[in-house]
Amino acid sequence: MKERYFSTFQLILLALFAALVVVAKIALRTPLQMPGHSGIFWMAIVIVAAGVVPKRGAASVVGLTSGIIAAFLGMGDFGALNTLLSYTMVGVATDLALLLLRDPENPAAGALAGTLGHFCKFLVKWSLGALTGAPVGFIALGLLRAIVGYIVFGALGGLLGALTLKALRKAGFFAYLAEKR
Amino acid sequence: MTQNKRILIAVVILIVIVGAVLGVDVLRRQQVTELEPGSIPIYFEDRLATGFKPDDLAHLEQVSFVDAEEGKTQEGWLLRDVLLLHIERDVFRDDTSIVVSSSSRGKSVQLTWAEVDDADNMVMLDLSGRGALKLVSEKIERLDVRDEWIQDVDRIEVIPQ
Repeated sequence: MKERYFSTFQLILLALFAALVVVAKIALRTPLQMPGHSGIFWMAIVIVAAGVVPKRGAASVVGLTSGIIAAFLGMGDFGALNTLLSYTMVGVATDLALLLLRDPENPAAGALAGTLGHFCKFLVKWSLGALTGAPVGFIALGLLRAIVGYIVFGALGGLLGALTLKALRKAGFFAYLAEKR
Repeated sequence: MTQNKRILIAVVILIVIVGAVLGVDVLRRQQVTELEPGSIPIYFEDRLATGFKPDDLAHLEQVSFVDAEEGKTQEGWLLRDVLLLHIERDVFRDDTSIVVSSSSRGKSVQLTWAEVDDADNMVMLDLSGRGALKLVSEKIERLDVRDEWIQDVDRIEVIPQ
């Protein structure tokens, strides 16, 4: 029988990470009044997911799954399509970035992957606004401020994810996973 | 390829994308240099942030309630949704002030984001018969009767605390 790309165990892990992304978006609040500040939690989870399931497409699966959950929960202020696309593209862009940067455990690589992944969320919102002519939140406050917010918080989230992966390795989590497989 | 080279390439890609976005935005802004006629200005920290056009309402879901004073159905669009079209939710905190005013009526009301964000309060912009917008609410005490409504809204201000 042909072996599946993701094992059932890996898919369950990715689904849990996807759920965690949505829960983090709903439950975690920071007092920062900056566009994109939720990326600090968001990208940390996506980078950890990409490290725990080290296969191309892992982050995309997390993005797509969390996008579907978020769209069904009515999250986001610009409709289900925007929510689905922006969540999915976070995962896809993170995967593409990791294709180049390879090791999400490297703090610099993790931070950059987080930055590119989170910035892609901004790009989706901005592109939809530009294409449809509909106003989209952050533009009113100055595009540069929004861009800086998305980049900084994406990088911080990516860095946090990389450090979490390092801590998990130190704690023997990856050895434990290898045993389970 | 070394890891440093990979990181450098990723940084260059990021810079190129940011540059492209800013370039396209500059081009778009050159086409729209001032507030369109009929727009209601939205100020953020005393700075003109954008103009809210009645056309924007087409993107929003309509809501309604029956006002307790006259029993008439008030139909319109939640102020929350109008603001979120222009300003990202992350920017608002519960205590962020929203001031809606009408210069022709000499009226204004200051609300908090928590009040505006609570859909049960029905803080909404209602299109009057004359085509002007009025701010009404079902449950906010200082905005729930006709005398307190802000007719002919011509300025919305967001003041972070």
